[in-house]
Amino acid sequence: MTDQLVQQIVNGLLIGFIYSLIAIGLTLIWGVMNIVNFAHGDFLMLGMFTSFWLYTLYGVDPLFSIPVCTALLFVLGLLIYRYIVSKVMKGPMLAQLVVTFGISIFLANLAVFLWTPDFRLIEKPLLHGTWDIGSIKLSVPKFVATIGSFIISLFVFLFLKKTKTGKAILATEMDREAALLMGINTEWINSLSFAIGSALVGIAGAFLSTYYYIYPQVGGSFGLIAFCVVALGGFGSIEGAFIAGIIVGLAQTLGGFFIDPAYKYAIVFLIYLITVWIRPQGLLGW
Amino acid sequence: MRNLTFKQISSGIVALILLILFPLVFQKPFPQHVMILVFMFGMMAVAWNIMGGYAGMFSFGQVAFFGIGAYTSSFLLITYHINPWLGLVVGGLIAALVAAAIGYPCSNLRGHYFAIASIAFGEIVRTHFNNWKLVGAAEGMTLPMLEESFENFMFHSSKLPYYYIMLAFLIISLVVCYIVATSKMGYYFRAIKESHDVAKVLGINVVWYRLIAIMISAFLTAMAGTFYAQYVLYLDPESVLILPISIQIVLISMLGGAGSIMGPVIGAAILMPVSEITRVMLGHKGTGIDMIIYGALITLISVYQPKGVWGLFSNIGKRAK
Amino acid sequence: MSRKEDKMETKKLRIIVFSLLLVLFLSVSVHSQPKVIKIGAIYPLTGNLATTGLDCKRGVEMAVDIINGKYDLSLPLAKTEGLPNLGGAKIEIIFADSKGDPKNGMAEAERLVTQENVVAVIGAYQSAVTKTASQATERLKIPYVCSDSTSPTLTERGFKYFFRAECTDTIFAKNQFEFIEDIKKKTKSKIETVALLYENTEWGANVGKEEQKYAKEFKYKIVADIPYSQNATDVSSEAGVLIKNKPDVLLHASYITDAILYTKTFKELGFSPKGFLTMAGYLEPGYLGTVKADGNYMVVRSTFALDLAKRKPLVAQVNDLYKKKYGMEMSGNAARSFTAPFVVAEAINRAKSTEAEAVTKALMGTNIPGDQIINPWKGIKFDPNTHQNIYATGILVQIQGEQYHTVWPFNMASKDIIWPFPGWKK
Repeated sequence: MTDQLVQQIVNGLLIGFIYSLIAIGLTLIWGVMNIVNFAHGDFLMLGMFTSFWLYTLYGVDPLFSIPVCTALLFVLGLLIYRYIVSKVMKGPMLAQLVVTFGISIFLANLAVFLWTPDFRLIEKPLLHGTWDIGSIKLSVPKFVATIGSFIISLFVFLFLKKTKTGKAILATEMDREAALLMGINTEWINSLSFAIGSALVGIAGAFLSTYYYIYPQVGGSFGLIAFCVVALGGFGSIEGAFIAGIIVGLAQTLGGFFIDPAYKYAIVFLIYLITVWIRPQGLLGW
Repeated sequence: MRNLTFKQISSGIVALILLILFPLVFQKPFPQHVMILVFMFGMMAVAWNIMGGYAGMFSFGQVAFFGIGAYTSSFLLITYHINPWLGLVVGGLIAALVAAAIGYPCSNLRGHYFAIASIAFGEIVRTHFNNWKLVGAAEGMTLPMLEESFENFMFHSSKLPYYYIMLAFLIISLVVCYIVATSKMGYYFRAIKESHDVAKVLGINVVWYRLIAIMISAFLTAMAGTFYAQYVLYLDPESVLILPISIQIVLISMLGGAGSIMGPVIGAAILMPVSEITRVMLGHKGTGIDMIIYGALITLISVYQPKGVWGLFSNIGKRAK
Repeated sequence: MSRKEDKMETKKLRIIVFSLLLVLFLSVSVHSQPKVIKIGAIYPLTGNLATTGLDCKRGVEMAVDIINGKYDLSLPLAKTEGLPNLGGAKIEIIFADSKGDPKNGMAEAERLVTQENVVAVIGAYQSAVTKTASQATERLKIPYVCSDSTSPTLTERGFKYFFRAECTDTIFAKNQFEFIEDIKKKTKSKIETVALLYENTEWGANVGKEEQKYAKEFKYKIVADIPYSQNATDVSSEAGVLIKNKPDVLLHASYITDAILYTKTFKELGFSPKGFLTMAGYLEPGYLGTVKADGNYMVVRSTFALDLAKRKPLVAQVNDLYKKKYGMEMSGNAARSFTAPFVVAEAINRAKSTEAEAVTKALMGTNIPGDQIINPWKGIKFDPNTHQNIYATGILVQIQGEQYHTVWPFNMASKDIIWPFPGWKK
């Protein structure tokens, strides 16, 4: 029985770290400009497809396509912010909520149009297979994704805390007006944050593509969980998103195993509700 | 009817007459179906608007009330042969109670936190119904084909009665919205939307009025649910409890103009025909073009007309004075 | 507001009003067409089940090609162009996208009948959509022939105009247990426990129910009964529960997305029961196309298999045509949807009329012999009360060498079944 418990904890962590990585990009965008990027899951999908096409057409292993995914999604985020989202920033909150939703529908169906709704899989990434550690089975691609997610999160964390630009982003997150007064070009920070957030989820897509199947609507399921993770961790809090991702991963897996798999997502949502009832600003939000 | 200009009343009457004549002129079931969807989603958008556009609670979980309404009246009809009109009222009341039960602990939640909580709530309700054997779990429920009559709330030979009933429901919801908006309650809602703290200072019982807004919204949404069940004669969690329905309701309100009475109706009048027509004309190719257009449309409207289409009318109306 | 802004606002308003009117007009226009016989086909052509819907669409189009053209095939109406009893009139299929939503099924059925003037409707793959669509055609008194939805409730409604050529989930579920009995005898092995794993919407839940019924009847112990949400991000918990309970055989009812995810997860976590008895999703071209060799040894319920060609050359001939047209082998889904147009056209031809009552009467008397269909049935003949095809039976195919081979009933098998499951290849 303890074997099963450990196995499920391992599984929970593996999926949790991916949730964390996806959520970090989302919370950055959210925290800085108070925009719920409903298209976040679709950026994930684009990251996955980028990785897939590089693999299929040029034989590039997903790990090596990470730089390309990063760059591509960074630019995409920048363009979408510049030409679409920035125009809604002065509008009512509802318009901001809805515009990313429109982008989401557009991107998902553009993918259907360009690549058909068929399912794709990267069959043999460089690091594949399963390690047997005692009686615990550890999926290699998932493990690599976990390590990668951890490293990237650390990197983002250091960037925000230690570099000048990073600190400017944090300052804008905390108090926009004060940041303006301090001479920070908040519009530029917005663009940058949106671009970075998109790039991060693009990287998550590259990792995910090593073991999950790829298709135009894949953004839906991960996107929904990502919102829950971000809200649970507290909007704008990178640490919060990171921890919440792991909590959600564990809740989903352990809850599904010990209580009932049919309710596993309901359990995640229930945890969110209970958390915000006690602490309305999420775990580490302000 | 205070505060209504002659222009508003007369254009309302003209619109009403046109809508009444519509199915008599366009006798095919498809356009009638499209209009029924416009009324149904319009009603749910108006209901959403009461708590969202006016009281500032952006709910992405309205589908839960829709489903509760549909399931309650259908369950009572199938199991206890209770008249669906009575079931409608019961469904509405249960939805309102559930709304209060979930709304109370969420009283402190603002903006995005509330939105995500509403999604969580909707999903929990869906999962629950999906596994609840009493109401058919994932297999759903099929309504018996009763003799067609107003009393049975079921019609087989023509869509006309459905059309007029749904139109009547929509008008009821608009009247409710109007009363709420122009009453002191509406003033309180708007104050709460602006700022909870300011509202409290003004002596407004924020928690209480939030609950009222949610309950009214839930009741009306549940009514639409009962209508749906009586109209389609089949329901399962995948058709009456899914997130995309909640999202569509928000989109419609926003597109039409949240915070105005007619806005959501305009939104429904645009979005429903567009999505139906694009599906009919382009969906069968399977290329996704219909949804690309839909997504682009939503994006464009958000960017260029964020106050919604109603914003266009009200601006022009102002000029006319 | 400035004059310029005023103009802009009025312009926007005009655009919107005009678009609305255009949209309204389009919704009402009746298309005028040259003299053909129109049949409506409703499928999920976009949305989550798009790959399946498009697969079904291919099957239907292939059938219509054969009916309208001149082919030396032992299929009804193949050897003539169009319907000979109606002056060679051709069939035209009007496709409609259900998006998997039952209310769209209803609306599209109504629209197809009242505006496109179809004389019959086929489809819709998802039983929930078929339910509402056929309810609409029943109200409109138009025949509906379904060859791809398996929910037993569809033929338990006492409808006059609804006919189903395909098997029901009841039959499929029973097949699975009949098979287990057979394999027990054949391999002289012990099989006592089963696990039920099924996607938790209308279809899967019904399959689960039928399987529970037959497990009890055939006296097998259900050690795990797991309904799950479609499109999961991760299925470790479900796999964990299965591994913990160690069933002898796993019965899995899933759509394609979950089939892929489960296969990968089972391999990753090393879940190896004696055998996998699966449905639906495992039959889709996308499944093997994605999981490749990991799909080997899966046993899938079907009503079609390419190797039936050994007994029925017709199957190979049709598959060749299909391959030529679409560049891929005919799948189980396409084969299912392929049947309905023939049933409808054959009835219309026999009735010498497209009139609803005449066609329905003809359908009641349909008796297509087994050698004129690609399915492994004795034929197509509808029960006078339920309108269920009395000859519809299921077969089981197994994936070997990344191809589907008939393995059961044993007397129809083209290859020996590989049982028990030999384990996952690294």
